[in-house]
Amino acid sequence: MKNRRVDLQKLVLVGILLFITVVFTILNPRFISGFNLMYVLIQNSFVIISACAVTLLMISGQIDLSIGSTVCLAGMAHAWLSRAGLPVGLSFLLAIVVGLLVGLINAVLVVRLKITPFIATLGTMYMGRGLSYLVSGGLVIREGLPDAFSYVGNESLGPVPYTIVALVAVVAVFLVLERRSVLGKYSVAIGGNRTAAMLSGIDTDRIVSTLYILAGAFAGFAGVLMASRLGVGDPNIGIGFEFDVIVAVILGGTSLAGGEGSILGMIIGALIIGGLGNGLKLLNVFTFFQSIMKGFVLVLAVLLDQNLKLRLGARAGARRAERSRERA
Amino acid sequence: MPEKLLEIQNISKHFPGVDALRGVSFDIHRNTVHCIVGENGAGKSTLIKILTGAERRSSGSILLRGREYNPRSTREAMNFGMSVLFQELNVVNQLTVEQNLVLGKEKVRLGFFRRDPQVVARMYEVLRSLDPSIPLGKRVAELSVAQKQVIEIAKAIASESELIIMDEPTAALSEEEVNRLFTIIKELKRQNVTVVYISHRLREIFEIGDAVTVLRDGQMIGTRQVSELGSGGEVGSTAELIKMMLGKVVAERYVAGGGGQGAPVLELRKVSNAKLREVSFSLAKGEILGCYGLIGSGKTEIARAIYGLDQKQGEVLVAGSPAALASPREAIRQGIALVPEERRSEGLFTRLAIRENIPLMNIRSISRWGIFSARREKSLARSYIQKVRIVARDENHPVEKLSGGNQQKVVLSKCINADSRILLMDEPTRGIDVGAKEEIHNLIRELARGGTSVIVFSSELPEVLNLCDRILLLYEGRIRDVVRNGPEVDSERIMHIVTGAKEA
Repeated sequence: MKNRRVDLQKLVLVGILLFITVVFTILNPRFISGFNLMYVLIQNSFVIISACAVTLLMISGQIDLSIGSTVCLAGMAHAWLSRAGLPVGLSFLLAIVVGLLVGLINAVLVVRLKITPFIATLGTMYMGRGLSYLVSGGLVIREGLPDAFSYVGNESLGPVPYTIVALVAVVAVFLVLERRSVLGKYSVAIGGNRTAAMLSGIDTDRIVSTLYILAGAFAGFAGVLMASRLGVGDPNIGIGFEFDVIVAVILGGTSLAGGEGSILGMIIGALIIGGLGNGLKLLNVFTFFQSIMKGFVLVLAVLLDQNLKLRLGARAGARRAERSRERA
Repeated sequence: MPEKLLEIQNISKHFPGVDALRGVSFDIHRNTVHCIVGENGAGKSTLIKILTGAERRSSGSILLRGREYNPRSTREAMNFGMSVLFQELNVVNQLTVEQNLVLGKEKVRLGFFRRDPQVVARMYEVLRSLDPSIPLGKRVAELSVAQKQVIEIAKAIASESELIIMDEPTAALSEEEVNRLFTIIKELKRQNVTVVYISHRLREIFEIGDAVTVLRDGQMIGTRQVSELGSGGEVGSTAELIKMMLGKVVAERYVAGGGGQGAPVLELRKVSNAKLREVSFSLAKGEILGCYGLIGSGKTEIARAIYGLDQKQGEVLVAGSPAALASPREAIRQGIALVPEERRSEGLFTRLAIRENIPLMNIRSISRWGIFSARREKSLARSYIQKVRIVARDENHPVEKLSGGNQQKVVLSKCINADSRILLMDEPTRGIDVGAKEEIHNLIRELARGGTSVIVFSSELPEVLNLCDRILLLYEGRIRDVVRNGPEVDSERIMHIVTGAKEA
């Protein structure tokens, strides 16, 4: 039953994705070009890379608003450390550790100090942003960066950009985590019924902490990749990024209350939002309208899903009633 | 005899598969305290719901002051002068006493509240007459349960209620608070208010009751004047009441098990906490130990203390060696598993399939290095579906779509799969229909024969008498007596002890 519902919902998402693809292709054939599609994918790979961990986190019933700040802070750390003369590879890793530390702070605030996730991560969001400005005195770190700084974000492994390689690797790892790992199983269990999970001996605190730390680390990874692609450390980057992530996750069928969700759905969700933005840009639609469309699609998709659930539920109920009547 | 306030005539209530009430008739007279007693599931709460408009009756009629009374909502019942003091109190913790008293009585003009000085004054007066010590400016969250009750009673009186229904009002009160409540109830009678009083504690009925109606299995067994029953404290006076409540209880299915020999697998030595007083007992391998008492007697609290959910003083020994058991994880590691009272909200992951639920108490049974095998998960689920006879389409059936009995079997499978040697089962068959109940009982017996030790925490005497080798009798957080089950077991004496009617 459950599986069929989730599949149906993904079908709706794929339908929406196809629909906008067809519409935009008719309006501007350039949309379907290989170059443009690759561009859309790279543009959205940062959202997807961070949203993988956030999907698991939200399945467990938590939320993280500090993702955008963490992306920025990690990028700044990477630029700052590289400029200070550290080897780019080492600086890359250390910057991811910075992201991981933000996740650790979130975990301590939520799990140990029992602060509501929304408030706790709102707090770290502001602190992370402030720290990013502080690192560079509010300026973009542009001068004095080694050439290697821009390498990963702009070069390719054969025909495939490194960003896409990273994207595929992260998605693959998280698909395994979601479907085959104890961590994924426990995330669903905790999000579905935290009390029952605790009574079943699941170490809920440890699992939730792990998920926050993963979310921080992968936001750090996305941030470092983004900084490399842009070739600068920019303290203004990633404002509102957390909402792009959350929108993709929710569009992908993850319930805000936790207990269900899917990484594949999130990827389709991210592509819908990304494709929409790109298509509208190709049609030279004023950017303000793009924002309106984004919001509209989110509300529409969730509404569609809810109606589908209700309708199916009602039909299943009617079938059951009929069957019991036949028996009687 | 004072006039009749409420005449209940041949009331029935059918739920799908259950007759909650069958032809119940009795009268409640004005200015009396009318008690209703009965075991869990006797139909008391259904009756209250019908009287207060939360449920509609299936047949029969009710006359209030001689006129047909058929409330469609609780608000309508309130307008007829009917108030209820639920166990879950309806006060707003964040507001002050004063704000709570006038809540819903404010006059609204242009969207702004306007205090009606008359209403407020009347409220104060009522509250002062009940308990002058409650400060008006204090936040209700800081008050005791007893004080919160007084606020609700005051609201009921001030809104001119003629009848106040009290549902187990003393369950969470200390002895002193109970006495104060009784004083208030006597005061209510003077103020022309009729009280319907629901309680398990027979002693209280003799102290404040005028009449008592006994329900059993949805049927009216009888109504007696308390004065005809004799005075409280005497054994003879409660005997008739207990007989009416129990009917004929026979442990027809009990077969003496092989358990009870050998060194104890679990031992409690003087375990105390906020709700328990020096609880000591031991559990043998393969034994089914019953823990019987009324609501609030400490059954669930013993289970919670053993399972590491509540703090405790005293000693717990597992297989002879001291164990801290500070968390469910630790308890599970020591081979203890809990089947919680609230199956759906505490025992199961209702949105998940049977297959996904079963291994969650022991994920190692299907995983290695943090990665689980879907194949093993499936075969594990299939083997349990066979072993405990879960009726479902297949292992992918969502647990929320199963019947209560089958849900309980999933919880049991989860515990068995955790390699537990000691099972704590809190109300193992609550809300489960008769046939499935017997199946669950058989499963418990099978487990015990296989060497698992089981503690059954139950408020149903027939269940305890059918299953258990020994029975701990609880009253107010203490073990009052331990009886060995068998043909000579005296169910009336058991009832005397757990209702506090007699010293053990």
